[in-house]
Amino acid sequence: MNGNDAPEPGVLKLEEEVPEQRARAEERFDALFAQFYPEMFGLVYRVLGDRMETEDTLQEAFLKLSHDSALQSRPDGEVGAWLRRVGLNQAFNRLRSARRARARLERVGRLEGADLEPTDADLVSPSGVVIRLEEQAAIRQALVEVPERQRECLLLRHSGYSYAEIAATLGIAVGSVGVLLARAERAFRAQYRRQDEP
Amino acid sequence: MNTTTRTCPELGAWRAWLDHEDHPSSMAEHLQACPGCQRLVADLRDDAASVGHTLSVLAPTRLPSPAEVAVARERLETGRRPAAAAQPPTRTLEPIPVSVARISTPWRIAASGLAAALVLSLIIAFTPEGGAAAASFLAQFRSQQVTAVEVTPQSQAEIYRTLNALGNLGTIKTPGSDGKEARPEAAARGAAEQARTVSLAEAGQEIGFSLKTPDPATLPAGFDATPRVRVMPAYQIRFTFDRNKARGYFQSTGHPEVSLPDKFDGATLVVSIPAAALLEYQNGSSKGALIVGQAGELVVDVEGGKVGLPEMRDFLLSMPGLPPLVVSQLKQIQNWNEVLPIPVPVDQVHWQSTTINGNQGLLLNDNSNVGSAAIWHAGGHLYGLAGSLKASDLKRVAETLR
Repeated sequence: MNGNDAPEPGVLKLEEEVPEQRARAEERFDALFAQFYPEMFGLVYRVLGDRMETEDTLQEAFLKLSHDSALQSRPDGEVGAWLRRVGLNQAFNRLRSARRARARLERVGRLEGADLEPTDADLVSPSGVVIRLEEQAAIRQALVEVPERQRECLLLRHSGYSYAEIAATLGIAVGSVGVLLARAERAFRAQYRRQDEP
Repeated sequence: MNTTTRTCPELGAWRAWLDHEDHPSSMAEHLQACPGCQRLVADLRDDAASVGHTLSVLAPTRLPSPAEVAVARERLETGRRPAAAAQPPTRTLEPIPVSVARISTPWRIAASGLAAALVLSLIIAFTPEGGAAAASFLAQFRSQQVTAVEVTPQSQAEIYRTLNALGNLGTIKTPGSDGKEARPEAAARGAAEQARTVSLAEAGQEIGFSLKTPDPATLPAGFDATPRVRVMPAYQIRFTFDRNKARGYFQSTGHPEVSLPDKFDGATLVVSIPAAALLEYQNGSSKGALIVGQAGELVVDVEGGKVGLPEMRDFLLSMPGLPPLVVSQLKQIQNWNEVLPIPVPVDQVHWQSTTINGNQGLLLNDNSNVGSAAIWHAGGHLYGLAGSLKASDLKRVAETLR
């Protein structure tokens, strides 16, 4: 080899790096998926109440993530915030869809579709399943009536996220989370009470 | 701050204080001295407790298990593959020879294994959508025929889990894995990404036999008579059994009754996936495409160990987690060492046995009649056609391959 060959190794090196970069990117995505999928499931399920719909929603969110290599290279906290934002948006879009809403109502009527995995209480009292489903439907209905930002804040906080994580997800200052949460809890409680009224 | 706050903290500050997110001692001191804030904090606490209790009803009874997360990850991979094929990175790849944008998702899933390359019927052996084939491909094998194995969404999920467990029984190596644990489907994807556009003659040299082309007169109206030709490289996947690793895995997963016999230890299954050629006939007006795929035989050999191939097949088919219905179908294949099982998701795809120029094969079409595919073996080579046309029209084109 002589100096004139210098560009050649450079070309080869570039070609060799492509599979390595791809492998690294795949490892990174695998790690993000393993880290965030379960907690995202917990969050999105609260909106949809249906395991299959939750899985479908998460597939859409992670598929978007898989196509955004720049986002994947961001710190975990930023990726998590993005996933929560996208997951919640998609989940509420699904919930709002008139067709899905109708189908869901029908399925609830048949006691299908919603999460029917029995709890201990259900095993003692099968009618508990019915009550639980009715209660869940009423709660979700109240949530939908609360302003978007507030209900997202509510779900995030009561799914266990910190104020910093909530702020990152909603794109607001950490110092604004408290007041948003306080107002959201008050609004939700009032809405939920109203639904109970005849 | 080290003095009692004179001005009452705002609503948000108190809410954060309740959650221990913001708790300067001055706030506690202020609270003790301020009846107004005491009432506010009591209300906030009551709201928070009530809402927390109410919303707790929405929580799932359980979060996905690691196995379910793995299944979801595999499912995502299935969804990513056709999309990745449709829009490959421009730096290394050219556009995929399938217009998948117009094709329904279920069909894309089926087509990705059946049409986009019959290569891919080989890859099927290791991909999630081809999961049903995986158990039997792990047996001595030289593909000569094809057969359908019906899989349901549930059995697909079970197969994913079992496939994911394979790495726990030994070591999988694929091109580019450099000694690290490899994912077979990543190898398949890597091969697809290395596809190159070549001439017909070059493609023939690459795959080891002369390519056949359909009679252009039989192509539906609007289709270009000159195909674009692409080849994908051959590659190998090597799976080496490790008795101790397998034993530990089965014990940890509650299956101590399953053991890997000593003679499996160190045995390596070598799956040789041949180079494949894809001929793409474009329809300029509809943006559809007809794909003709051709490849040699998929061969599975065993190196090392002292295990017989039938025993190995029996062991793999007995692995916990494989759906009994799929296992039963695979066991019913008499000449299992030359029949390539093609998994057919019965909720998405209709299939029927057919003959193409006297060779046994399969004809598939998706339930929405968006497209169809045919796959068959002839003269030691594997052929496949797929496109956005009726199954009967597609078969007619297939029979003109010369």
